[in-house]
Amino acid sequence: MERRVVITACSAISPIGYGRKAIVESLLNGVSGVAALREDELISRFIHSRVYGTVGYPMTYDFSRQYRKTMGPVAYYACQVAKDVLEQAGLPREFVTGGRLGIAFGSIHGSPTVQRDIYRIFFEAKDKAAYQTIGAVDYLKSMVHTTAVNISKMFGITGRIISSGTACTTASQSIGFGYEAVKYGLQDAMICGGADEYDTITVAVFDNLLACSTSFNDRPTRTPRPFDRARDGLVVAEGAGALLLEEYEFAKKRGATILAEVIGFACNSNGGDLILPNLEGITQTLKLSLENAKISAAEIDLVSAHATATKMGDIIEAQATGAVFGATPHVVALKGYMGHTMAACGAIETILTLYMMQEGFIAPTLNLEEVDERCAMIKHVQKLIEHPVRTAAIQNFAFGGVNTSLLIRKLT
Amino acid sequence: MTRQEIEAEVREIFLREFEVEDPEPDVNLREAYGFDSIDAIELLLGIEKFLGSELTQEEKKQAIEIRTLTQIIDYIEKLARIRGIIVERP
Repeated sequence: MERRVVITACSAISPIGYGRKAIVESLLNGVSGVAALREDELISRFIHSRVYGTVGYPMTYDFSRQYRKTMGPVAYYACQVAKDVLEQAGLPREFVTGGRLGIAFGSIHGSPTVQRDIYRIFFEAKDKAAYQTIGAVDYLKSMVHTTAVNISKMFGITGRIISSGTACTTASQSIGFGYEAVKYGLQDAMICGGADEYDTITVAVFDNLLACSTSFNDRPTRTPRPFDRARDGLVVAEGAGALLLEEYEFAKKRGATILAEVIGFACNSNGGDLILPNLEGITQTLKLSLENAKISAAEIDLVSAHATATKMGDIIEAQATGAVFGATPHVVALKGYMGHTMAACGAIETILTLYMMQEGFIAPTLNLEEVDERCAMIKHVQKLIEHPVRTAAIQNFAFGGVNTSLLIRKLT
Repeated sequence: MTRQEIEAEVREIFLREFEVEDPEPDVNLREAYGFDSIDAIELLLGIEKFLGSELTQEEKKQAIEIRTLTQIIDYIEKLARIRGIIVERP
């Protein structure tokens, strides 16, 4: 049994804004969410990259203590966007708690803020009293599936839990696996997404790999620069995104607003090097998503590229995209606006693509001023254009050699 | 240590850790305030700190039956007596 799957609600907390209005305004006005790296009084002083995609506006939450007690910062983000999509969708309470709604949600490694506090005790505890300051709930706040289970607790959701933790493909896998769960009748709806909180450890990891941007430390908004000749690496960022996927007939019957249909998904592994991008693996993923959707490459209007602005990653992605989709579809790299939101990027970039689909424009890749000739085989968007988008591909690739491609289509 | 002091400390823990102000002494804590297994573990840690003494596994298991604030105070009073901490009846 294969069923059609549609997106009926979405919400993002991103460095360029929270909610549709703020995010669309940022896209239309070329606003960057990259700011100076905050000092953590630990390792930040050693990090060469001094930029971070920052949620720099105040967030206010209305979660009671009953829920807050098991939530670290990453779960606050996750629960807020999940709350937003449930409110937007207006699903009846008995459906939300009835077992046919599931959750696919993750983060790259739970809450590093809480983990850091635990390890501080681990290394510094001199007596039992100090050891006992490790809170009973610290694991619940920091574990890798903390986002998914805090969502389930807050809303009483009793369906299946999928909590991918595959770095940069966490959210794209969440959407893809959620899509498959609904498509094959395992669930009737899924809340899908990812979140990551402000974290300097992630910056340090990429910084030590020489993968972080360092040349624009004094001009944070000028980086990252996907596909640009002067790109010099990624910018780590924070944020969250959630989408509600529903079975088409179910959504139609209840009069839900359908934002788009998920028409295909593919995920594969490079089966080799865990860091270097792999042309063969990525190319294969893009082809598999077309096969899964049963559409031709010519039907793709817009590609949301993963494009983190690393030297090799962008070239490999451009080559794979050009080889599979050709030079016809417009290509935008949304990380130019906000950096790499890690576990959230697949969801945030899908949501921004949905917004552009709804509004009828394509935002340019921010900071793409001079296209690297090695990335020139695809149609880059360098100026804001009014353009209808019917079918879009959202591609994401992760450390560990994991690749995903998600295809969505506006219902006509 | 008096029973009043125990009650004052428990109320302080409830306010500080559980954001419950002036809990009713004899209501079911789960039903009235959403007190759950996580809170129970935090409470036991708070009791250990208050008594300045670790609870045995057996003593912790006895806490499973607790449902009300009065029962918590009774429980701590019993632990205090076992430990030779003077508890004066009012």
